[in-house]
Amino acid sequence: MSTEVAIQTEALTCVFRRFWRRRQVRAVDGVTLAVRRGTSFGLLGPNGAGKTTFVKLLLDIVRPTAGEARLFGLDCRRPEARRPVGYLPENHRLPSYWTGLGLLEFAAALSGTDPRTRRRRAGELLELVGLGEWGDVRISRYSKGMLQRLGLAQAMMHSPALLILDEPTDGVDPLGRLKIRSILQELEQRGVTIFLNSHLLTEVELFCKEVAILDRGRVVLAGRVRELTAGKGYRLTALEVPERLFEKLRAQASAAAMRDGLAEFHFPTREELNEALDLLRAERCLVESVAPSVSTLEQVFMRTVGAGQEGPCT
Amino acid sequence: MYLRQNAALVRDSLQEALARWVFWAYYGLSTLAVLFFLFLLRIDVIEGARATITLLGDTSARSFPVRQIVQQAYGAVAILLYVHGMALAVFAASGLMAAPLEAGRIEWLLSKPIARAQILTMRFLAGLMLVALNASYLVLAVWTILGWKTGVWDPAFMIAILTVVFMFAVLLSAVTLTVVITGNATVGTMVAFALMLISPILAQHKLMVKLLDSEAWRTAWRTLHQVLPKVYEVGKMNMDLLRGRTVESWAPVWSSAAFAAVMLAVALYIFSKRDF
Repeated sequence: MSTEVAIQTEALTCVFRRFWRRRQVRAVDGVTLAVRRGTSFGLLGPNGAGKTTFVKLLLDIVRPTAGEARLFGLDCRRPEARRPVGYLPENHRLPSYWTGLGLLEFAAALSGTDPRTRRRRAGELLELVGLGEWGDVRISRYSKGMLQRLGLAQAMMHSPALLILDEPTDGVDPLGRLKIRSILQELEQRGVTIFLNSHLLTEVELFCKEVAILDRGRVVLAGRVRELTAGKGYRLTALEVPERLFEKLRAQASAAAMRDGLAEFHFPTREELNEALDLLRAERCLVESVAPSVSTLEQVFMRTVGAGQEGPCT
Repeated sequence: MYLRQNAALVRDSLQEALARWVFWAYYGLSTLAVLFFLFLLRIDVIEGARATITLLGDTSARSFPVRQIVQQAYGAVAILLYVHGMALAVFAASGLMAAPLEAGRIEWLLSKPIARAQILTMRFLAGLMLVALNASYLVLAVWTILGWKTGVWDPAFMIAILTVVFMFAVLLSAVTLTVVITGNATVGTMVAFALMLISPILAQHKLMVKLLDSEAWRTAWRTLHQVLPKVYEVGKMNMDLLRGRTVESWAPVWSSAAFAAVMLAVALYIFSKRDF
């Protein structure tokens, strides 16, 4: 396994058994996945799909029943494998008796950072996440959004090469989300691999380059966001389209609609699109927009997982 | 690296203890005991005895009753520390052992590049440190007050610190295992209290063996007595040592230590295998 791959799993399986029950739950079922170093990767899936268990397997919080997981080529069961990893758990309960500064220093000390560096980094990161004035205040007095930002800061304390974030913007207001997104983008530009586990599909779509969708413990779709959301064909909208021309174009288009004077067509090929454009220009119609038709990540998700599901969530 | 991580884990435990009222109460009670001794030594009996000794200048002959009083005071403090102090220490430390296993916190801790054993052993050590510090504080303060007032400086009193820390370590090992299995501090406390309560009953094994009518029951009783920590016997040894008596057998110490070692080993094994 290459160290150019930040996360690599081979047939990773986790089965939960209860002593007093016969039923087994296959939380993660033979997942083979590779996350390249330096990319931003989103893990999606409906409730109970196994996303959090998958993350826990990566960090040796849960032990696999079969298969293996590696972080930068190291077996994830070894503590050293977690050295380049920063983790923000979902529904975390950071020790509330620490102050913000104290917690960051404690987190860095656990990662083996020397005292001078951790003092300097703690101050810098508190400023970065907008908690500069709260460093000496006990965490028990922090709001949920502040705790999330502090959680992100602690994950970054030892300058990790891989950040694993489970619902990082949970409880954060829109401005805070924007801030977190910009921090993550900056980290990604610096070559940090970001593994995002989020139920906010728009957030994943806005930030991640690659995604995988888990359903019932299995990867049902994986790939680059741009490729997954790219549709086939082109979307054309125009104003003042005479009815005769509209009917003619409708016959050529794979779909057409007229709403409040705005005609909308979908053409499967570039040639058909250009023919339609020529006709519209000849009739002096106002072309409003021309764009390749795309799907949103939500549409991809719903198509993949099925409309019958409750919805994407960890 | 390991040293830095271990120091951070111990500091975290101490920080958490500082934030808990029960630890303040634990140290507060010791302070009350010290203040009580300070007050007690102002009364006429001690002052009079001390004055007599000083006036006559013959401490060897006349100091006997004072020495006896001091030894009784040592005994009282030792019992207070061994029984009540230990119960309070177990109560306080159970919460401290269970806290890092809370959902949302353990995941965060385990994501760090540390071995699972480090988390548990450093918590255990921090618990021991807190109890050792409190026992030392109380014993040394009382020893100093009594010594200063009476001129009797008996180092045997220091044994009380060792005994308390030792037996607390034994009970904490049982708490650790319980907490690792159940994740519940209250159950851990109950187990430790049960061990404390059952010990004086099991200590009557010679009598019970005579009274029991079945060999199976007699074997069960003997086995329980051998396996479980001997809180009562070690406490009795503590008193014997304080009074300068010879200890007949050190077996209660070894068997209790063996119990603690097994409890800790099993706790570490389960903790290293458990999913969170």
